[in-house]
Amino acid sequence: MAFEFAPAIAALPFVSFLVALAFGDRMPKGGALAGILATAGSLLLSLWVFLTVSGGSAYVHDIHTWTVLDGGSVLNEITLHFGLLLDPLAAMMLLIVSLIALLVHVFSLGYMNDEGETGLPRYYAGLGLFTFSMLSFVMADNLLMAFMFFELVGLCSFLLIGFWFREDGPPSAAKKAFLVTRFGDYFFLVGVVGIVATFGTSRFAVGQGAADAAQAFPVMAAKALGVTEGTVSLAIPGGMDPQLWFTILGLLVLGGVIGKSAQFPLHTWLPDAMEGPTPVSALIHAATMVAAGVYLVARMYGFYLLSPTTLGIIALVGGFTALFAATMAVVKREIKQVLAYSTISQYGYMMLALGAGGYVAATFHLMTHAFFKALLFLGAGSVIIAMHHNEDMWDMGGLKEKMPVTYWTFLAGSLALAGIFPFSGFWSKDEVLYEALVHGLGTVGTQGTLLLVAYAFGLLAVVFTGFYTFRMVFLTFHGEPRTDTAKDPHGVRWNVKGPLVVLGVLAAGIGLVNMVPVKKLLGGAEIDFLHKWLGGPTALEAQTSVHHYADVLLHDAAGYSAGTLAGGEVGTVLISAGVSLGLAVLGALLAYRLYAVPEPVEHTEKLGSVKDLLYNNYYQDEFQVFLAERVTMPLAKAADTFDQGVIDGVVNGTSSVSLFSGRRIKRVQTGVVTNYALLLTLGFLVLVVAMAVTGGWF
Amino acid sequence: MAVDVTYYLVLSAGLFCIGLAGILTRKNALMFLMSVELMLNAANINFVAFSLQWGNLTGQTFALFTMALAAAEVAIGIGIILVLYRNFDDVDVTDATSMRW
Repeated sequence: MAFEFAPAIAALPFVSFLVALAFGDRMPKGGALAGILATAGSLLLSLWVFLTVSGGSAYVHDIHTWTVLDGGSVLNEITLHFGLLLDPLAAMMLLIVSLIALLVHVFSLGYMNDEGETGLPRYYAGLGLFTFSMLSFVMADNLLMAFMFFELVGLCSFLLIGFWFREDGPPSAAKKAFLVTRFGDYFFLVGVVGIVATFGTSRFAVGQGAADAAQAFPVMAAKALGVTEGTVSLAIPGGMDPQLWFTILGLLVLGGVIGKSAQFPLHTWLPDAMEGPTPVSALIHAATMVAAGVYLVARMYGFYLLSPTTLGIIALVGGFTALFAATMAVVKREIKQVLAYSTISQYGYMMLALGAGGYVAATFHLMTHAFFKALLFLGAGSVIIAMHHNEDMWDMGGLKEKMPVTYWTFLAGSLALAGIFPFSGFWSKDEVLYEALVHGLGTVGTQGTLLLVAYAFGLLAVVFTGFYTFRMVFLTFHGEPRTDTAKDPHGVRWNVKGPLVVLGVLAAGIGLVNMVPVKKLLGGAEIDFLHKWLGGPTALEAQTSVHHYADVLLHDAAGYSAGTLAGGEVGTVLISAGVSLGLAVLGALLAYRLYAVPEPVEHTEKLGSVKDLLYNNYYQDEFQVFLAERVTMPLAKAADTFDQGVIDGVVNGTSSVSLFSGRRIKRVQTGVVTNYALLLTLGFLVLVVAMAVTGGWF
Repeated sequence: MAVDVTYYLVLSAGLFCIGLAGILTRKNALMFLMSVELMLNAANINFVAFSLQWGNLTGQTFALFTMALAAAEVAIGIGIILVLYRNFDDVDVTDATSMRW
């Protein structure tokens, strides 16, 4: 029953988009109310779907088939369609996205309406379309549909980041976000085409009672490799080894993921995206755009598990990005910049978990991160309102007494981000690192070493995370006010505090849904609810359930096995949790020593040239500009020369010849009608003579 | 007493050549029109002669149509000649040479 209403989850924000666009300027609050109602409706429906999925059912349903292609003898028919896939993963993500979209809409009342911004209908229309795209992306049952909404999400981020298009920064940041993610999406598109051409389908899963021919592509791939029983006919180009070909396809799709989830080396757009309104940053970083990449890998995880090489790359990129971004966050002056780099870093952790075979860990971190990062962004938004849109942390200080609600909720989010027990981030980050550690220890060969290297990156990033998080907290809220604005901040209203409190409670407590370490320690207490829940309905048991991933594919296809340190499993859990918590506390204490004083000074100055390097983001932007100017530009110039010289030369030459000959031949046309008559007569005579000769009259 | 068809054809060919010569040598547009009439009538003679030869009325019917057509053609031709005169103050076809590249 709930499933029949599922399309409305996405349709409601779309309606609010249309309403805000058409009537927003005549409505009170510039269309915000429509958006709030629509996202609240989506939230209720998502909750209903969530409860129905918890009851053990799942839903795979084709909504609209737009074309059926002839796939030849090997693939038969290829259908391209819109469809819904509602399994535990999708249901969880729907809930997160609609909740955060609702809170962001409410918060926008305080951040945009109360601050007297103009162009609000455009803003709320953008938010509605953004929510619609992400919800549709989450529900997609095939890769092609996912790609279409993935692109739409990118478009919406472009529109919203560039919301203040009259200033200099935002339009350029919007363009950068659009182009950099588009660069990744180009590979994704090629991957989608490759997958459809190989398998004849791009479905993630098929429902019960579907035709025999209809299969999910990860399942077909597993059969083709002999991991699971069954025979399939695939069109692999050039008789290539299936394993190699699946790795190539996986890496192509991963291109889109790296762009959207801002992983190294395509992360540069994300810090610039801070030019957009703060509620938009919260939506982009917590629930939509950036989450889409990681969600996509989780969605087709059955396919990635078949390729150990791809998994290794995912783990390494993720671990490296986690550390790389965390180091840059240490020296930033602006509160939103710190949060931007922490987002990159946290998505790195999710990628690390996925690469290390920790499907539940990644999903778990995706969820907790969505809550605490939305909280931190909205908290930062609250601070920015209070500071009259000054984002520099060195101009703040002492806001703790002035805005207690913001302070305490922000603190909860920071503790979660730093991974301090028992806040949500601790549980999920610990599980990510634990998965990387045990699979690194247990897997033999390069793969295991790779995972351990990625684990080391991740572990090191924990210290930096603890440090930059609390540097941000202490600089913003503690000490003495450093400017007049900070002495007398602008107040915030219920529409700012409300979302903060809701998210604060979630950020503090949501980790309790998957207390794996506690379960392992107590032995037998069944408190890893998320893990059980992702096991999901029996209908999709052999397709997208965590049992299929963890018990079958992880060992048989990816070749991962779990190892332990001293003290067996319990010992390993304790060591892993202890080390990550210890390092987080170490980072936090360092920040406390340096910055929790009445008059903090810029200690990072002591780093000297290292600080410059970090402050300038390892000169990544400059490197990319260098690539564009010194590599791409000469290539483009050479191509231009070839185009202008050779291609156009041939075309122009042809036209010159015709022009020249035309200029000569046109002299035949004298304009004297008698001449024309003569030519006609002569021509006729020539014809007659020719016919006479060939016809044999003479 | 039937006249041999060859004479008709020779008459027709002669008439046609006179018309053609008129078009190729004359400059006066009115002469053009008359020459065209001669050529059309040469064709008509052929129609009628062959019609007589084969005992088939179709050719004679065609000749009637051609006459109607010729009348229409003259109407248009005179219209053109009037315009020619208005624009060039003459009916000399070699003057009107502006309709070219």
